[in-house]
Amino acid sequence: MIDNNLEHTTIRPGLTLAGFRVTPAFVAAFGVLLVTVISLFTLPYIGMADNGDFYRIIYSNGLYFDLPDYDSRYFGYFVKQFGIFQYYNENSSMVVSSQSLFIKLAIFINKLFFSKEVFDIRFQAGIYTLLYVTAIYLLIEAVTFKMSFKRGMLVAVLAIFIFGDTGYTAYFSSFFGESVVMVTMIMVFASWLLLYRKRYNDYAMLAILLISTLILTTSKQQNAPVGMVISLLSVPLILIRRDKLFRWITLLSAGLMMFVGIATYLNISKEFVNINQYHAMTRGVLMESENPETALNSFGINEQYAILKSNTYYDQYGTVDVKSEMLQKDFYSRYGFVSILKYYVTHPDQLGSILDTAAESAYKIKPAAMGNYEMSAGKEFRAQSHFFSLYSTLKEKLAPRTFAFILLWMAVTIGVYMPSFVRSLRTRDYRGMQRLLLILATMLVGLSGIVVSIIGAGDADIAKHEFLFTLAFDLITFQVVSSVIGRGMSSRKSMPAAPPALPATDYTTLNRGVGA
Amino acid sequence: MRRRGIFILVILLLGGSLLPPVRAVSAATASPAPAQRILLLFDSLGRGTDQEGNVAELQRLLAAYSAQVTLKPIAGYEPGSMSAYTGVITVVNNDELGITNQAYLQDAAKYRGAVLHVGYRPPAGMQQTLGLKPGVWHGAGASLSIGGFTGIPLDVKKMPYTAAGSGRPYGLWSSADEGMQAPFAVSRGRITYLPYLKQGNFTGMAAAYVLKDWLKFTAEPQTYLVIKEIYPFSDLELLEKLADRLYQSGIPFIASVRPVFGNTDFPAMKRYLEALRTVQAHNGSIVVNAPAVRPPVNTKDRTLRGKMNHFINVLTEGGAVPLGVAAEGYWTYDKEYSTAGMGFFNSAVLYPDGETHYMEQMDTSAVFASAVYSLPPELLQGISRDGKAMPQLPLNAGVTYDLPENEDGLEELLQSLKNEWYTFADYKQASHKVSTDIHTLEAAAGVVKVDGHTLDVDYIPKTVIDDYQYQEKQATSFNTLFSVQNQFFIVVILAALILFGGLLAIGYRLYRRKYLRK
Repeated sequence: MIDNNLEHTTIRPGLTLAGFRVTPAFVAAFGVLLVTVISLFTLPYIGMADNGDFYRIIYSNGLYFDLPDYDSRYFGYFVKQFGIFQYYNENSSMVVSSQSLFIKLAIFINKLFFSKEVFDIRFQAGIYTLLYVTAIYLLIEAVTFKMSFKRGMLVAVLAIFIFGDTGYTAYFSSFFGESVVMVTMIMVFASWLLLYRKRYNDYAMLAILLISTLILTTSKQQNAPVGMVISLLSVPLILIRRDKLFRWITLLSAGLMMFVGIATYLNISKEFVNINQYHAMTRGVLMESENPETALNSFGINEQYAILKSNTYYDQYGTVDVKSEMLQKDFYSRYGFVSILKYYVTHPDQLGSILDTAAESAYKIKPAAMGNYEMSAGKEFRAQSHFFSLYSTLKEKLAPRTFAFILLWMAVTIGVYMPSFVRSLRTRDYRGMQRLLLILATMLVGLSGIVVSIIGAGDADIAKHEFLFTLAFDLITFQVVSSVIGRGMSSRKSMPAAPPALPATDYTTLNRGVGA
Repeated sequence: MRRRGIFILVILLLGGSLLPPVRAVSAATASPAPAQRILLLFDSLGRGTDQEGNVAELQRLLAAYSAQVTLKPIAGYEPGSMSAYTGVITVVNNDELGITNQAYLQDAAKYRGAVLHVGYRPPAGMQQTLGLKPGVWHGAGASLSIGGFTGIPLDVKKMPYTAAGSGRPYGLWSSADEGMQAPFAVSRGRITYLPYLKQGNFTGMAAAYVLKDWLKFTAEPQTYLVIKEIYPFSDLELLEKLADRLYQSGIPFIASVRPVFGNTDFPAMKRYLEALRTVQAHNGSIVVNAPAVRPPVNTKDRTLRGKMNHFINVLTEGGAVPLGVAAEGYWTYDKEYSTAGMGFFNSAVLYPDGETHYMEQMDTSAVFASAVYSLPPELLQGISRDGKAMPQLPLNAGVTYDLPENEDGLEELLQSLKNEWYTFADYKQASHKVSTDIHTLEAAAGVVKVDGHTLDVDYIPKTVIDDYQYQEKQATSFNTLFSVQNQFFIVVILAALILFGGLLAIGYRLYRRKYLRK
């Protein structure tokens, strides 16, 4: 039995240096901070070029493109500074997104310290970086809890390697919603895992879980299922404490997450007539269909539209104006999210093949289409930064690119954590059950990223749309690898136990199965 | 060889005589060489005023006369540059602020080329030469007569006019109460004054009468019927029906067809080509409509030339031969669009600008040997004129209809053509040339040639067989072997499962017996 040969460590591994306690969580957070500061805040600044989507979020938040040649920088060069509207902003909100909160906060700080006319995106990057580093701290605190110092440090280095990658952090210097997704998703994962660990105050962790889920769900329309998935799988959290107040708060939180998820979904239905709807057909259904004309007929669309197969909304020159009344009347109005979902359900072969297409891009963190440097850096158009991006490069090159691998990865991960879950179930240790539920929720959130993007937008922009999956994959894989590191490669050495001061029942299940 | 040539000529002549009667046109409608170089200066674009768009209207009118135009604001005029132009047009839309650019004023005073002033405050020298007495009409409306058109009522506000002039008058403005009667324009020698021009009403066409003389344009202008908004996803049967009905009525027309840049081997494209060949066989001339440009425009995207080249080749090889290009006027003021998009053609149909998305804007226009000024049918609909037939318009004009969406729309279009008594010319009677990387297409005097070979436009449409293989079948090997292997393993696995199942059952019974006995 594992419990019989324990390594005796403290709950919180650490090394005291000059009176300051250095923990793996601190090392990981500091490491990620250092790498991010070097990449985003020192020359040459790294960021992400606009793909034409920025205007939707920034104009409604009071910013505008003040560079006269901004158009020529699309896709190619990252732009650092934007104008701040000095008069009444007549741009109504084009997209409802929690991302606006962060942009508004950044503009406020920018006005306070820098300029009232010019907005420097580094203020936004600074806010995201601080939140991100906090999220990483919480995550590593949860993962390395009760781990020996050496192993904890190993996990911390791994965390810097994965989460310090500029493939992730470059999003902070852009107006893509992925930055919000990244911070909040890690917050959700860390707070849930900390609830499982019983590391901090449960109410505080529940609050972080709730707020992060709400922000994550409302950050992008495609994240509607996130709220629903987390809501359903977080219901057992009600049982981790006996006090009624906690149970009521947890139940209400789950209800709120579900409500926000549904509200975001209903918003999708209205907003679906846009770029993504075009791609859902031209880069989705028509791409995979053996006979696009038959597929179009099944939607009641003129078969001649087969010509649009594999076209993108961004094509500079096209047969038809993508916003034309003709397409509105004879094309867009004939299908929607539900009818495309129905189509894939009735054509499983095509679903399989588009899932494989999706899997090909499922491991790309940073889309290759957008350049990372400013024009002033003198790099070529669409030049990509390779600074601290070994992990994203390796991941993209080495991961098997079939959907079957994703299924296999899911099966193996669930299998690894299932024994401890079953034991927790038998002993009615509801807190011990949370780890598998969290992993399951993260997997489903990641999968929803794939499914929603292929149904909602075909294979267009898939690397960016599948960001949720790639992040979920990294979080879970990081958790699994950390568990292995924590337990040691040999089964003889195992996880440390809970401190004797705490009631034994609280930790018995934590030390079983794969370990912490 | 000579005999064979004569034989072909006779056949062609006979063929021509069997075609529906069309107005005979001169072999080429190109402008007299050399092309006019015009400097078009403006004080303001008159945004938000009645004059808004008049500069763009002038640009399009000048293009229809194959004049090369350089557009500049007066404030941006550089000293000494006027002498490089054969004519100078100055548009003054602001009735309050005077011109302060001294370089312009000095050069204009010395300039000896053709001069046209449009709008408020004609220069003193011009007033003197033409004996002008400028005024501003504040009435609610006035009617205009010019060419064969009489008493066209127009809604005008704050209209500059010339109460008296001693030069050659063009047209006549008259108010309903006859309190005002003034010429539309006055000209003497190289100097012309045109007080009022508005985009979108008949004053544009009236200005064409003035410009024709001012530019000394001598070629006989033609009027064409243009059908646009033809997409591969349009009702192609209706298109063919329209072509047939026009053919039966003896009306030649231009079909402005939308380009397709990918999937050109699909059955859908083949059906599109079939429809276009049918149009061509029914006296329709094909022109390639410019593609839709999606903003934001990426200046690094230099794919237009290749795409247009490919589409023209696909059309040609599919038997539908394009003779020109159709685009919004601003395309001629964009370096990329005019060269990479329109550079294959020497003939163009120019539509009014909608939303403009320049890539590389130029101040000087690209010129086409033959350019057609597109106008909406509403402009001439029910217009009062001398006699029943539509008078000849002063420039190459294209009365432009959208392809109808249904049978009712088709009938409406035909009725409208019938009511107006138009005389439409056959586009391929004029001279056109299109060159791609592999093909040279020419038309003149009703004969279309592809790489020097005369094209037989007669065509009976065929049904497109849609057994097209959309997805490439992946190459497989050892199919039979794997299939046998599969079946073999299925049998082995099933047998193993049954065997294990049996052993488990036996084992379980033995186990129960052993412990039950205990």
